[in-house]
Formats: sequence, structure tokens, C-alpha cells
Amino acid sequence: MRVRQPARAVALRGRSQQVLRDHLSADSLTSRRDYLRVMTTVSGGLTVGSLAVSAGVLHRHGDAEAADRLAPGQAVLFTYPGAYDRAMAVRLADGGVVGYSTVCTHLACGVLWREDRGEEGELYCPCHEGAFDIRTGQVTQGPPPRGLPKVLMQERADGSIWAIGTAYADETVPPAACGRLGAAHPRADAITCHQRANGEGN
Amino acid sequence: MSFPPDYHPGSDQPRLNRPVPERYPQIRPTSGYADARILHSGPGPGAGTEQEPERSALLTARLLVVLSIVVGQLRALSLAVDAWMEGHTGTAWWCTGFQLLSFLIALGAWRIGTQDR
Repeated sequence: MRVRQPARAVALRGRSQQVLRDHLSADSLTSRRDYLRVMTTVSGGLTVGSLAVSAGVLHRHGDAEAADRLAPGQAVLFTYPGAYDRAMAVRLADGGVVGYSTVCTHLACGVLWREDRGEEGELYCPCHEGAFDIRTGQVTQGPPPRGLPKVLMQERADGSIWAIGTAYADETVPPAACGRLGAAHPRADAITCHQRANGEGN
Repeated sequence: MSFPPDYHPGSDQPRLNRPVPERYPQIRPTSGYADARILHSGPGPGAGTEQEPERSALLTARLLVVLSIVVGQLRALSLAVDAWMEGHTGTAWWCTGFQLLSFLIALGAWRIGTQDR
């Protein structure tokens, strides 16, 4: 049996449906005033961001923390000059920093830093017991046919250490490496070659 | 805060400040803000809800000013990051000063008429 609804209830339901349809299809109620407030907030956010950047929230490549300092006898691995060219920097006992490729010239095994070998430590290849002098990179033992390619290191006044170029194993660093470095980085060449001329470089 | 301090949107006559649907039963939400039946600023026949249309234009102008400021701030932020990464900390702080000044102007542009529409 069907129950007849009062006409007033039907009218109310029709009215509510109409209101709902109008509400759903109405224009956005975001006004220019709201938009102005939002953009002012964005402006404040950008100011805070800039403040954080200036205060040093971003990490800079090469920033040296006290804990990151390379102590005498310690080594650090990195890639240079390409992302797949493995290299190593070693702090010598006298405070100097030397850098070499860690790819053995014999069969391309990874070369290790062994502080306990030799007088000042050696770069040691565990595959066939090759060893390289830490100061010159020349072969001191084993089958490698030539010394390790050098990576030229520069330590700056702020304590950061930078790889700035490469040199062949049999190359005395100053003339040839300096010239090649100058071709790629004229400014770096001016600095390092000037130091070298004054007897400060390696 | 608003300028002038005694400004309030709408008319001094309360009957003209009734909600739009009450004053114009024919206008529905789907009519949009710019209903063709609202011909003049009020009060009077055909008036909309805005009694001082020049404030509406000012609101648009202020919004444009703030948008320009935000564009400038985005540029300044990129400059600040570049300067910081290159080690020019002083330049980064100058950019931050510019950002702060820009924000204060934007804040003023917003606060000077919070009731405008």
C-alpha cells in the first residue's frame, strides 16, 4: 500500500535538492581578498626560506666540518674526474695531501691504503700483491707495469680539499700537468702554477 | 585594520545590507558574481552589494602588486641560493634583506583593507 506524503514535505525535499544542486554548481567562493591573503602568506614563506638559506641550512659541497678533517695517515675515497673514476686522497705524516687513482695499472683491481706497509704507508693491490709508493705513486712491488695516475689535490685556507686535475704516473707534476690544467681551468692554473713557481706546490 | 578605520563594506542603510538572495530572489548562486541584473553600485535600484566600487579596483591593484612582489621574491631566492652555494654569503644576506622588505610591503598591501571585496 502506498502512503501519500504531505505536499509540504515533497516541496521541502524538492527545495533541498535544488539548494544542493546550486551549491555544487556555484562559482568558486575564493575571492580576490582570499587570494591576496594567500599570496601574502607565500611571500612570508619565501622570506623564511631565504633567511634559512643565508643562515646556512643548505649543505655546501666542500664545506669542512671539524669532524671531517683528514688526519695524518687517513685516506678518503672519491670519484674524479668522472663519476666512475675511483680515486683516493691520503694525508701524509708531514701534513701534505696526495691523490691517486685507485684502479691498479695491472688488472684494474681496487687499490687499498695500507698505513702499516713501508715507511710512510703504501697503496696496496690485494689481487697480485702490487704496491705503490705513497709519495710518488711509483711501483715498489709486484706486477703493475707502471705507477698510479695522479690526482692533483689542493687544500684551501678554509680547510677544504679539492681535486683540481690529473697527471700521468710518470709525469713530474709541475710542467705538463700545469699546462693541461691551464687548458681546462685557466683560473685554477694561475693559482696552482703561481704557487709552484714560488716553491709552495707539490 | 582597514583604511579609513571606520570603513565597512556595504551600505549605511541596513536594509540594503541584507543578503543578496534576500534582496534579489531571482539571483541564484549559479548566476555568478557579475549578474547582468546588477547594473549599478548602490544604494538604489539595481545596486549590487558593493557600495564603493573604487575599493574593488584598489583590491585588484593591490593583488597585482603582491603578485609582482612574489615573482621578485622567487627570483631573489634563486639568486640567494646561487650566491650561498658559491660562497658569497654577503650577497645571500642582501637577498634576504630584499625578501624581508618585499614581505613587509606585501603585508601592508594585505592589511590595509582586509574587508575589501
